[in-house]
Amino acid sequence: MTTSDSPLDTLGDLMRAAQQGDGVAYARLLRTITPRIRQVVRRQRGFVGEAEVEDLVQEVLLSVHAVRSTYDPSRPFEPWLTAILRNRLVDGARRYGRIARREVKVDDLDVTFSELEAKEESADLSDAAALREAVRALPEQQRKAIELLKLKELSLKEAAQVSGTSIGALKVATHRAMATLRMSLGKRRE
Amino acid sequence: MNTDELVRKLAHELEPAAPLPRAAMRASAWFAGAALYIAALAIGMGFVNGYPDGVDVRFWAVQVAAIVTSLLASAAAFASVIPGLSDRWRPLAVVAAALWLVTLVATSTADTDWSAVSSATHEWWCVGFIVVGGAPLLVVLARMLRRGAPLNPATTAAFAALSVAALANVGACISLPHANNAITLAWHGGVIALATVAAAACGPLLFFWRLAPKPTKG
Repeated sequence: MTTSDSPLDTLGDLMRAAQQGDGVAYARLLRTITPRIRQVVRRQRGFVGEAEVEDLVQEVLLSVHAVRSTYDPSRPFEPWLTAILRNRLVDGARRYGRIARREVKVDDLDVTFSELEAKEESADLSDAAALREAVRALPEQQRKAIELLKLKELSLKEAAQVSGTSIGALKVATHRAMATLRMSLGKRRE
Repeated sequence: MNTDELVRKLAHELEPAAPLPRAAMRASAWFAGAALYIAALAIGMGFVNGYPDGVDVRFWAVQVAAIVTSLLASAAAFASVIPGLSDRWRPLAVVAAALWLVTLVATSTADTDWSAVSSATHEWWCVGFIVVGGAPLLVVLARMLRRGAPLNPATTAAFAALSVAALANVGACISLPHANNAITLAWHGGVIALATVAAAACGPLLFFWRLAPKPTKG
């Protein structure tokens, strides 16, 4: 038996209280589930940036809020939340795919100074579309290494934890990926 | 925008939201109202051709199968908007629809008068009954379903349309009975199949997430 001051011990109880308009219980519920949602989003969408992860987390919270009346207090809370989370992640992935197909990121394009006069290797990499295509063509392990270390800028230790591979294997994959990218972008220029 | 800020906002602006009744309860309530409406419509329209000699137990077997399909399809639609709920209603609805189809095919084969199918121009009346008569039911059902979570819009819409069309079909059959089930199979079956497919295609337009705007800084 719990000695907690609050009788609201489970997420289901918190949601039941929230359905009756208890804002304090609702805030507690949302604060409890937010890190769990974030963890799942990071695990499932490891290739997106931190801002996108947070955006998805917020979208899941808003979805939970929008359909809170569909929670049946006599049923467990976790499957209810998981179903919403899974649905929003699938929607998010579709949206991400659509955007990726339509858009070319222009963050790295210079306005004042041309990058063409800079280092030749950088000139190769300034073609974002070609780079993206070249990264996409990499073998799975090399692509993952590039995404984690070069695009998300994780440390080797963090990247190894996320990808579930050793630091040594990551170093090798990154080295090979960089060599492949240099070669494929070089061919493209010729 | 900060997630903590969003949590604070949602909790601060929280309004009570009573839990929806169970899917089976909602389906039963909708079905009872819909059945009364269809019965009233069929009686109001009158029995267009009177009851032909061929109407017998086979006719009523087909109607019972259609009614069961409608009821189970509505339960499947209501269950599809509840997150985390087992989707046992879906296979049941599909099996009921298959049994209904088998019943229709079996009785149509017994009739064997397929030549009457293409010449049965008065069947447009039945098509009108199913489409126009069923439209208000679909509107009510869609409004009830939109209170749920749009987890699978195409599935939800398809089962909703199947439920409505199957029930409206019963009204049309009772109002304008056919001694020849081949006509019912071709015309009514065709309309119901089209309505179900069209609804599945339009599902994402009917059922989508309507989220509160995120708070902005400032």
